[in-house]
Amino acid sequence: MSKYQSFIGLEIHIHLLTASKVFCDCASRFGDEPNTNVCPVCMGYPGVLPALNEEAMFMSYLVGKALNCTPAESAIFDRKNYFYPDMTKNYQISQFHSPVGTGGWFDIDVEGQVKRVRIHDIHLEEDAGKMIHSASGSLLDYNRAGTALLEIVTEPDLTTGEDAEAFLQQFRSLVRYLGVCDGNMEEGSLRCDGNISVNLTGKGLGTKTEIKNVNSSKFLRLALNHEIRRQKKLLERGEKVVQETRLWDEASARTESMRSKESAHDYRYFPEPDLPPFRPDEAFLSRVDGAMTELPLARRTRFVEELGLKAVQAELLTEEKSTADYFEAVVALGSEPQNAAAWITGDVQKYLKRREEEIASSSLSPERLATLIRLVDENRINRNGAREVLEAVLEEDRDPESIVAERGLEQEDNSEELAALVDKIAAENPQAVEQLKNGDMKPIGFFVGQIMRASGGKADPQAVQALIRDRFGL
Amino acid sequence: MKNTRTNAIPASWRGMLDDPRRAAAHRSYVDEWEKKINSFVQIDPRPGNGEGALAGVPYGVKDNIAVKGLGLSCGSKILEGFISPYTATAVERLEATGARVYGKCNLDEFGMGSSCENSVHGASSNPWDPARVPGGSSGGSAAAVAAGLVPFALGSDTGGSVRQPASFCGVYGLKPTYGAVSRYGLVAYASSLESIGILAGDVDTCRQVFDSIKGEDPKDQTSVPWEDRSGESSSRRIAVLEDLSDLSPGVDAVYRKSLEGFREIGWEIVPVRLKTLDYVVPAYYTIATAEASANLARYTGIRYGYRAEGEDHADMVRNTRSEGFGHEVKLRILLGTYVLRSGFQDQYYGRAQRIRTLIGDEFSKVFQGAEMLLMPTFPVAAFPHGESGMDAFQQKLADKFTAAANLAGIPGLSIPAGMDGNVPVGMQLLAPAFCEERLFSAAREFLSVYEPARCPGFKEPS
Ligand SMILES: [Zn+2]
Repeated sequence: MSKYQSFIGLEIHIHLLTASKVFCDCASRFGDEPNTNVCPVCMGYPGVLPALNEEAMFMSYLVGKALNCTPAESAIFDRKNYFYPDMTKNYQISQFHSPVGTGGWFDIDVEGQVKRVRIHDIHLEEDAGKMIHSASGSLLDYNRAGTALLEIVTEPDLTTGEDAEAFLQQFRSLVRYLGVCDGNMEEGSLRCDGNISVNLTGKGLGTKTEIKNVNSSKFLRLALNHEIRRQKKLLERGEKVVQETRLWDEASARTESMRSKESAHDYRYFPEPDLPPFRPDEAFLSRVDGAMTELPLARRTRFVEELGLKAVQAELLTEEKSTADYFEAVVALGSEPQNAAAWITGDVQKYLKRREEEIASSSLSPERLATLIRLVDENRINRNGAREVLEAVLEEDRDPESIVAERGLEQEDNSEELAALVDKIAAENPQAVEQLKNGDMKPIGFFVGQIMRASGGKADPQAVQALIRDRFGL
Repeated sequence: MKNTRTNAIPASWRGMLDDPRRAAAHRSYVDEWEKKINSFVQIDPRPGNGEGALAGVPYGVKDNIAVKGLGLSCGSKILEGFISPYTATAVERLEATGARVYGKCNLDEFGMGSSCENSVHGASSNPWDPARVPGGSSGGSAAAVAAGLVPFALGSDTGGSVRQPASFCGVYGLKPTYGAVSRYGLVAYASSLESIGILAGDVDTCRQVFDSIKGEDPKDQTSVPWEDRSGESSSRRIAVLEDLSDLSPGVDAVYRKSLEGFREIGWEIVPVRLKTLDYVVPAYYTIATAEASANLARYTGIRYGYRAEGEDHADMVRNTRSEGFGHEVKLRILLGTYVLRSGFQDQYYGRAQRIRTLIGDEFSKVFQGAEMLLMPTFPVAAFPHGESGMDAFQQKLADKFTAAANLAGIPGLSIPAGMDGNVPVGMQLLAPAFCEERLFSAAREFLSVYEPARCPGFKEPS
């Protein structure tokens, strides 16, 4: 048992993909001209009142269900009071006493081990606007003010930066599966803070520090691991860890204390009097049930156990729901699962990446890929021909069969012609023949390559190999 | 009498603003009065759609209720120069009946006060006796109606802000059931307590305006669909308080007389005790100030209103709030911040909420044995301006009769019931939630024992 134990808890904020903001009808859209998606309500003008967006509530309950939380029978909004220039009312409508969901868990896969992380609660709140600092002063853009933000708070069940990275990646995948968030960390639609404390084993939680504003799961891992080392060193030296907020500095690869005037906040929470408690009815809850989908980890496990995929392939295929759906569509069209998986995670992905395309929106429909795989399986085209067809399908948006026909890629099975070629190449390379006869198999590849080239790529490599073995009695 | 709809607004008001000659004559009448009572902070008749039951009828709007294109000062320096970009739902609904906003009425800053002296626009005065206050915080609205400048006005009632000035000015003042009228567009002071209310020269006008503005509004999720729960008159029992102390002799006399009046017109008097009445004021101020501390946090000079100079952002906000808010507002923000402090919430805010529940329960019990409850609106009649009047603390203690209805969310109607010397005295009728019809109907019956007079100088519009 190691001397120290570390405890990591995460607070994740996701922007919900609702069409409008959480308490008004303004578009919930980023990147528009500053202050164009605003109205008296989200600007906090005198006399306006919030009106709860039921779509945001729906997505929140859906996430709650996916995270095995107990759904609130009566979700209550509270006011969280603090002054900040980009908060229009200087209080944030959030949830404190009775959030949407409490007491759940999320199973993550860390290097093949399933780890259960408890969820403390999930609560819905409004986001603040954005401050843009310039030489002439600070400018305020309120387009983001009032957009629906769901906060997920875990218990301190993670122990390493690797755990946290896996959690964040798999959670991102989850919310994309559910269709409630695009998970884009660079644009801030998914943000994560990490709380971390280190203590002597068996002594429980230590003094925690908070790492804020990390914008990738990799940096989260680096920052937390750095912070674990830093706190251990302090404890080794008999020093105390100061409870504070720290920032990850990418350039120096270390966490640094964030000077903060607002250290001891008293948010003075009290129930938001402008919003009645939200009590989901039967219809609402069954709509949530109906929107539930097989989650990434479950799907990954099924792909391994039922379809015989390798863990790595299953992971690659299930990260995005659209890819997993695509894969299953190809299998449903008759392709052998492992073969389809190899195609999708191999050549298909390589070409898509080069073309910067998504599989779901590319011209390679599941039908076309299934056809292509069948053509190869039936030995009608070889691997090289298949690659050419694949590229052409993506390029020209046409069916594989017509491309094969047009380009004359159909494999020739002219054994006599091939036999003549083998003789010719053997005559030209007596040394290689000698090697083969002495039991050294290396030259087989050389022979196959030569023959393939001589046939203009149309020969079936497997047939060629069989022919060579035949010819030299191997 | 119940459920009969009368066309209440006196004919002389109809079409007034659609007729330039009558409008001009009326304007000079208004200007004369305004020199004495300062009831409006802005007069700027809005265009109307010309149709509907109240076509061309002018009305006043308390200046904490939004009307697009007009100021929304809330009686505060901090909203100096602010023009509302939108219109309150209640005003929109009145517009739909053809009524036209005549102007914005003076008030105690952000609705905090009982005298209408607490305004950046200066004090308003009582039309019966300009040496006295018109009451508050909807003092401007009450004074304008009493003087005949408008047949009705919208006010807001957080702890008695419609009923108390109605009582001081001898007009009808309704605080509706919480949720019966949309609060969208009413600048928030204490959200869970306040309602938009009506001040009117006669009970039928009050009722007609209420009919026009009540009902659910998607912009206010605390509003509810209107459902009349008055029921058929079964008992004709009216509850009265057994042991009323602290009343001025004048108010006490009117109270006893109105009690007799109700007996005369066939009501059975049921004496009751409200044990929680002593806790109304502390509970009310705890909840109201807590909510106010949050509601008033948005005034920072950043996006609208008055902005002070400052060295940096925090300094600018501090100076803006320091210069922009008056003493009473600052006092209540501080009090609210104090009672919500972490670790003390249960001691103050939580306890106040429990008292609030008890007050509601006690009212429910009273209404099991009686249709209505009769109480004085305020322990004294209109008091003189300035130092010789009531001090701020006495005024707060005196809110106990009115604030109870706000804590319980039930409707209350203050009706003119007598005189104390040269100023009127009002009594309030309280009923269970959504039983406004009982109040209107009882107020109409009461006219047979007391017909209120108009203040000196009052003239019917031509
Ligand atoms: Zn908006």
